[in-house]
Amino acid sequence: MNDDRLAASGRPIRSGPSLGRHGVCRRHHLLLFVFPPLASCSGAQSALDPAGPEAAGVATLFYTMLIGGIVIWCGVVGLLFYAARKRRAHSTKSAGQLVLWGGAVFPTVVLAALLTYAVWLMPVMRPWFQDDASGMRRIEVTGEQFWWRVRYLGEDSGPVFETANEVRIPVGERVVFLLKSPDVIHSFWIPVLGGKMDMIPGRENRLTLVAEKPGTYRGVCAEFCGPSHALMAFTVHAMEPRAYEAWLSARKNSSGADAEGLALFLRHGCAACHAISGTEARGTIGPDLTAFGERGSVGAGSLANTAEHIARFIRYPDGVKPEVRMPHFSMLPDADVERIAAYLKGLR
Amino acid sequence: MTPELGNFSAEERAAQEERLRKVWETPKGLRYWTSVNNSEIGLWYGVTAFAFMLFAGLLGLLMRLQLAVPNNDLISADLFNQAFTLHGTVMMFLFAVPIFEAIAIFLLPSMLGARELPFPRLSAFGFWSFLIGGIFVCGSIFFNAAPNAGWFMYPPLATDKEYSGIGADIWLLGLSFIEVASIAAAVEIIVGIMKCRAPGMRINLMPMFAWYLLIVAGMILFAFPPLIAGDILFEMERMFDWPFFDAKRGGDPLLWQHLFWIFGHPEVYIIFLPAIALMAMIVPTFSQRPIVGYSWIVLAAVGTGFLSFGLWVHHMFATGLPQISLAFFSAASEAVAIPTGVQIFVFIATMLAGRVIFSVPMLFGAGGVIIFVVGGLTGVMVALVPFDWQAHDTYFVVAHLHYVLIGGMLFPVVAGIYYYFPFVRGKKLSDAWGKVAFWLMFSGFNIAFFPMHFSGLRGMPRRVFTYPEGIGWDWFNLVSTIGAFIFASGVAIVVTDILRPKPKPTARNLNPWNSGTLEWTNDPDESWGMRSVPVITSRYPLWDQPNLQRDIEAGRFYLPDAKSGKRETLVTSVLDADPIQCLRVGGVSYVTIIAALALGGVFIALTFHWWITTIVCAIITFVAIVVWLWTGTAPIPEEPEIDVGLGLKLPIYVSGPASVGWWAMFITMVGDGTAFASLIFGYFFYWTIHADFTAAAQGPGILWPMIALALFVVAWALTVLARELNEKGPVGARLALVAGFVVTVAASLAGLAGPYFHAMDPTANVYPATVWILAIWTVTHGAVGAIMHLYCLARSFAGRMTAEYDQDIRNVTLYWHFMAVTAVTTFGVIGLFPMVIE
Amino acid sequence: MKSFIPREVETLWTLFTAPTVWALHFVVCYAAVAIFCAKGLAEEITFGTLRFALGVFTLLALAMIVLSAYLAWRQWGFGSGDPPHDAATREDRKYFQGFATLLLSGLSFVAVVYAAIPLIFIAECQR
Repeated sequence: MNDDRLAASGRPIRSGPSLGRHGVCRRHHLLLFVFPPLASCSGAQSALDPAGPEAAGVATLFYTMLIGGIVIWCGVVGLLFYAARKRRAHSTKSAGQLVLWGGAVFPTVVLAALLTYAVWLMPVMRPWFQDDASGMRRIEVTGEQFWWRVRYLGEDSGPVFETANEVRIPVGERVVFLLKSPDVIHSFWIPVLGGKMDMIPGRENRLTLVAEKPGTYRGVCAEFCGPSHALMAFTVHAMEPRAYEAWLSARKNSSGADAEGLALFLRHGCAACHAISGTEARGTIGPDLTAFGERGSVGAGSLANTAEHIARFIRYPDGVKPEVRMPHFSMLPDADVERIAAYLKGLR
Repeated sequence: MTPELGNFSAEERAAQEERLRKVWETPKGLRYWTSVNNSEIGLWYGVTAFAFMLFAGLLGLLMRLQLAVPNNDLISADLFNQAFTLHGTVMMFLFAVPIFEAIAIFLLPSMLGARELPFPRLSAFGFWSFLIGGIFVCGSIFFNAAPNAGWFMYPPLATDKEYSGIGADIWLLGLSFIEVASIAAAVEIIVGIMKCRAPGMRINLMPMFAWYLLIVAGMILFAFPPLIAGDILFEMERMFDWPFFDAKRGGDPLLWQHLFWIFGHPEVYIIFLPAIALMAMIVPTFSQRPIVGYSWIVLAAVGTGFLSFGLWVHHMFATGLPQISLAFFSAASEAVAIPTGVQIFVFIATMLAGRVIFSVPMLFGAGGVIIFVVGGLTGVMVALVPFDWQAHDTYFVVAHLHYVLIGGMLFPVVAGIYYYFPFVRGKKLSDAWGKVAFWLMFSGFNIAFFPMHFSGLRGMPRRVFTYPEGIGWDWFNLVSTIGAFIFASGVAIVVTDILRPKPKPTARNLNPWNSGTLEWTNDPDESWGMRSVPVITSRYPLWDQPNLQRDIEAGRFYLPDAKSGKRETLVTSVLDADPIQCLRVGGVSYVTIIAALALGGVFIALTFHWWITTIVCAIITFVAIVVWLWTGTAPIPEEPEIDVGLGLKLPIYVSGPASVGWWAMFITMVGDGTAFASLIFGYFFYWTIHADFTAAAQGPGILWPMIALALFVVAWALTVLARELNEKGPVGARLALVAGFVVTVAASLAGLAGPYFHAMDPTANVYPATVWILAIWTVTHGAVGAIMHLYCLARSFAGRMTAEYDQDIRNVTLYWHFMAVTAVTTFGVIGLFPMVIE
Repeated sequence: MKSFIPREVETLWTLFTAPTVWALHFVVCYAAVAIFCAKGLAEEITFGTLRFALGVFTLLALAMIVLSAYLAWRQWGFGSGDPPHDAATREDRKYFQGFATLLLSGLSFVAVVYAAIPLIFIAECQR
């Protein structure tokens, strides 16, 4: 029953170096004493380590409920112990009062308050926008088995350029994600920024998120979507606005460099599925590979982005990601695969 | 109030016992399996469900092993996916729900003071269906063909044949089969509780367990049919390419999610309430006092039953529905916590007002409450939309649901096993091992599942077969795995203790815990249940009614004898439990096994598209059911009344709303109507999501649907007429039945003519597919209605249905009331609605 | 009032009146906003109008529940006896029914109020 996905070259290291985030952890000192596991800084994919207002709001909500929950739990369990261990029986009347006040009235009041707070919070977190969401930066993300197609849309809603498995957004600006899927249901989730939103075939969902702290984060697919559901992650770069604009204009004019690598890439048919802007490679079936060298990972978060891993993926993608759509290229000469890998790694 | 009790000499009693023993005898040897007695069926049901639980538990351990360390390669992604799909499916469908059907079938008659539930053969049929379906579903993993799209089976992943192979069909058909068994059990339980209580057991004196089970059975009736409707749509898509969930042709994957969760969330409470019911039996016993807040428990059970139907969208908070819709469901999800809290406080209050004796059942019960409260609190959290946007589909939810289900269901069930073991076998399980098992299970559980809250909040999604190292999940997962094995070792001790050979108890002690409820008067060595059916005047008769045990065993109450040589039990009125009928229930029979095997054959053959086998099995099923009904239901008694003891004579045959058969039909049709309503919901669902509902395709027109509608109404009128005429003599009734049959056939043909003559292609778009499915549903029901006409005709000619003994035609008329509503709705909607929206 | 409310109801079904009102209220609210947000109802109906209408409907539902509670209170003998109502008499059975129905009316009232909270805070069809 062994999975020979890992046989090729040892264990994959899926968290590349670019995934570590070195921002400041938001510490809730009070909770350090109560719940040590929450205290440690958990990094790029933790909902309790927020980098945006939505995630921060939810984290606060959680901590509030956690404290309330601990108090209530201690109360109930304390009562249970007392009821089991007490010396003499209490009157039926006082026990009945306990049911009325403890079992009915108290929860009714507490839950009403909690519900009111949460319902008030909803439109605050995800405010209303007109259908066209005009004037907002729009990024269309399509979940596909098992990777992310990312299109940066222009004013006229047409795509300006496409990339894959990597989302870049400017800090401090509310960005609209248009979420789609051509195959099965996926779910788009960047825990440090906010909650998730499903990508459902036949529907277009929207999610607006704001990043407040620059950094590199990790997003994942949160809805089971098939064999490699576990291997469908993406990198999120929240950038300072100026750096973002610089990247944007550079990215619009990106192109390949290594002519021989490109020739091999084209000769072996890679361009049937993949596109690299500025070259003849214009395939649209698989991920766009423009500026691949800058990506955080190979295979949507499966392996760290090194030339070696790229080569391994090309030779036998199914060994890294079970049932991935890309066919294997183990029949190509080693030298060619390595050259293509080096070429891809060099794309900026 | 209480009538003069009977007095019998020792010889008379011995003769009575001889006759009773013979009538209720369990067959020996291979024929043992033809038994339909509630104590056998209940036991088989329970043991089977428990075995499925252990199997699913092993799958859980396999998953924990795979997730123990990051980037593990112990099992493949595909096997992992099959394992988690089966784990969820088996735990929910083959353990959690059936175990309560088992406990209910086993305990209810004794608790209510009945000899037997009203439809023992139906219980047997349900059990065999469950066994066959369960083995079919579980066995698939050994052929690498298990369903692998998750227990929720979301399309389009699950409709993708290339991905799911026949796994999805196994899931759909195997479970549809088991759902049928659940609905059968629900019918049995509702009628049993409403009509078969001991005389004097008014609804304010009913054991808590019965109150809960009544509500739960009612919930099954409204929760399972939407899933059956969903299964039908799903299987039509997989088998015949009807695009109900295919977005490219107008379908929508979200409809499945709605139908699945309309079932799926009440399901949680269908599992949870009976466990609380067990607690409501255990806590008073070990507090040695009546429960405090009996009415509060009824409030909690009924309230939860209703509110649980307003929660389903909280599984869909991330699907992009309007926030205000989500908020409504969030509100109901918070509200349902109130009755749940009441239940916990009722137990605490009862303990507070009593003297608590600590014992193994109480240990498991209290442990369960401690765990469950955590699950309840996290439930309040995830029911809030903003928090759920983060927590949904993460390990936080995995932790939450296991805290709820293991604390709220498994621990109480184990408590129930320890509590009721003496009832089954006349001897307690080991106290010492019980304590060891408890501490292993309790600590193991918390070690396994508590860390999942944190891995979830740190971003770990559910249903991942592996995860990268270094993003803060490694230690949590390792600890979880260790805890899972500690937990499993506790379960293993419980199983060993149950299975180990035990010496025969030396002293006969029927009530070792000094419980107050009626079931503890039963002698496990006798299969008659109650020796005589007592008159009840208290909630805890064994505490409050002196000499009850002795008088029951001396045969001093009702039905102390079985002179007729038939299995008899009392039927009483719903509110005050006045005796109204002596009901004869079915005995040992092959027909139930044959019917279940053949129906199983239909579902299994469908999975593999073996059409001929399907048809053959369907015919066998049909014949078996007709034989069953013909020989087993509404027999004309040899005398109209029978002496049930204490100077009371009761009728043997009643018809109309007074009869249990009428109620069974009514309840079944309510379930059936719910499935139909789900299909209608589907029709309007597609209307709301599309700007152009009919996708410019042709509809069925107005003419044919209106003709079908009119003809069905005429057929209904003829059926009612047949019932009326039957009271005057057979001739008019027979003519009306023949006419009803002919008109029904015509109506059915007219029903199909609309979509047929307008060349509606169900594979082209979801609109024609929806119209077809509604027409087919109605016409199929029409066909059943027509068969019922013929059945009544045959009964009339055979002299089995007369002016006086007219149960058959009355039940058929009841069916036709529902049929008429179905037909008018279907043809009204498909014929007129397209016009209305223009 | 007296003309259409029978003085005594001898059935189990009255127990379910208040939760049924909750269920109806819930379904109407859900269906109304679902259809409004997916298709719109009519040109002149805005979300504000819909919220107002549902608010009025909520008051109606609450009134129904209060009525059911009053009838239950009456069946309970206007609180003339304390629980547990566990005597083997028709009277106690009726008191039990009345008390349980009263409790259920209370829960249903709270549940309807909860369901109305979103109408206060959410003013658009945002997703």
